[in-house]
Amino acid sequence: MSIVEFRNVTKAFGNVTVLKEVDLNIEAGEVVVLIGPSGSGKSTLLRCINALEEIDGGDLVVDGISVREGRSKVRLIRQEAGMVFQQFNLFPQMTALANIAFGPRRVRGVGKAEAIGQARELLAKVGLADRGHHYPSELSGGQQQRVAIARALAVKPKLMLFDEPTSALDPELRHEVLRVMQSLAEEGMTMIVVTHEIAFARQVGSRLIFMEGGKISVDGDPAELLDNPENPRLREFLQHVH
Amino acid sequence: MEFDWSVVVEAMPALLSGARLTVLIALAGLVGGLVVGVVAGFMRAYGNAILNAVAFTYVEVIRGTPIVVQVMFIYFALPLLADLRVNPMTAAVTAIVVNAGAYIAEIVRGSLLSVNKGLKEAGLALGLPVWKVLAYIVGPIAFRRMIPPLGNQFIVSLKDTSLFIVIGVGELTRQGQEIMAANFRAVEIWSAVAVLYLIMTSTLTLILRVTEKRMRIL
Ligand SMILES: Nc1ncnc2c1ncn2[C@@H]1O[C@H](COP(=O)(O)OP(=O)(O)O)[C@@H](O)[C@H]1O
Ligand SMILES: [Mg+2]
Repeated sequence: MSIVEFRNVTKAFGNVTVLKEVDLNIEAGEVVVLIGPSGSGKSTLLRCINALEEIDGGDLVVDGISVREGRSKVRLIRQEAGMVFQQFNLFPQMTALANIAFGPRRVRGVGKAEAIGQARELLAKVGLADRGHHYPSELSGGQQQRVAIARALAVKPKLMLFDEPTSALDPELRHEVLRVMQSLAEEGMTMIVVTHEIAFARQVGSRLIFMEGGKISVDGDPAELLDNPENPRLREFLQHVH
Repeated sequence: MEFDWSVVVEAMPALLSGARLTVLIALAGLVGGLVVGVVAGFMRAYGNAILNAVAFTYVEVIRGTPIVVQVMFIYFALPLLADLRVNPMTAAVTAIVVNAGAYIAEIVRGSLLSVNKGLKEAGLALGLPVWKVLAYIVGPIAFRRMIPPLGNQFIVSLKDTSLFIVIGVGELTRQGQEIMAANFRAVEIWSAVAVLYLIMTSTLTLILRVTEKRMRIL
């Protein structure tokens, strides 16, 4: 069974159809890199997976649960699918450590001491062991994003969704976030990553998907597609992002 | 004319008892107003269409009418309409609760809506139910942002208690008025009354300053 299954999914905002009858299966362990022009529906596709957007047609099954099954089931999906946002969205009133411990405590009901202990381990894993007591406003963008990744991992998801995790960062801060994502992929985490980082797609991705106009138009092996893009619009797109 | 301090000294016990009543009405009104305001504010920000419409109507009616009219209505009109006997003190506290509640509702709504939508999504994305997102993430941030405008409203409401002179509540302004009517020492009495109000409002300001300092306003 696939961990994510889009079956003929349609999503519209008002009378603008943003996802058009999308079919897509993602297996556990895959690292899917999603690229495409702005407005092609990449974020929307990602946000449908954890039901931050409600689908209008078809069905979408995540880890055996349909997004249409109702609120409590949707919460289960969200616990299995961690999300990292372009703007980090760390909780500003909490320290880095408290941000990470928050999910386990309030979602999984883990005790305080245990949650803090786990948070420390995760903070070390993203290379910020000495920053636990800092508030988000006291961290650089790259550090904030690494804390945000740790916060999502703390709930122990089976799947991680990244929506342009490095787009809000200065170029010299991007690699520290990409490195954390790469080590996560090497540990076998299932990942769906919207990004313009073509080098990351080639090195880390196991699958590349090119979206345009709410549809998946190219889907295949990253190295093959990047070296020899047969689709003319993909070829043009790659010239622009390089 | 000469400022006669003995007039102030003589008037002080009555004025202080009036000030006590002012503080009492204001305190009861603000606690009640806060409760009403928070409920109505959440209804406006997160309620369904019906809750939203109820809260909206309440806020519009109260903000659209003078507080003097509101307290007169409660004290004189309500007994006729509903066969309810209200004493002046109950009418005064009710008026402050209802009045401050409407303004506080708007403060609460504005603060809730000022919190970045991404934070709510981040909370939901962890798998939290909406009420926990509001209780642990959006609520605390909004609360910090409410303190300055709430302080403003508290001071306005405290001074609004002086309008209850119209229904004969023996608060500070009323006490001043009565003493003045007996001894005609307008300068001494109204100076003393003004200073007593200033002491009350500046104490409130001080409390709010300290609260604000203790919480990082985000
Ligand atoms: N909440 C929304 N309300 C209305 N339109 C939206 C909303 N979110 C996205 N859209 C529209 O949907 C289309 C796809 O958006 P999005 O998924 O964000 O694209 P991408 O991430 O590929 O840039 C765009 O035309 C965008 O304007
Ligand atoms: Mg996007």
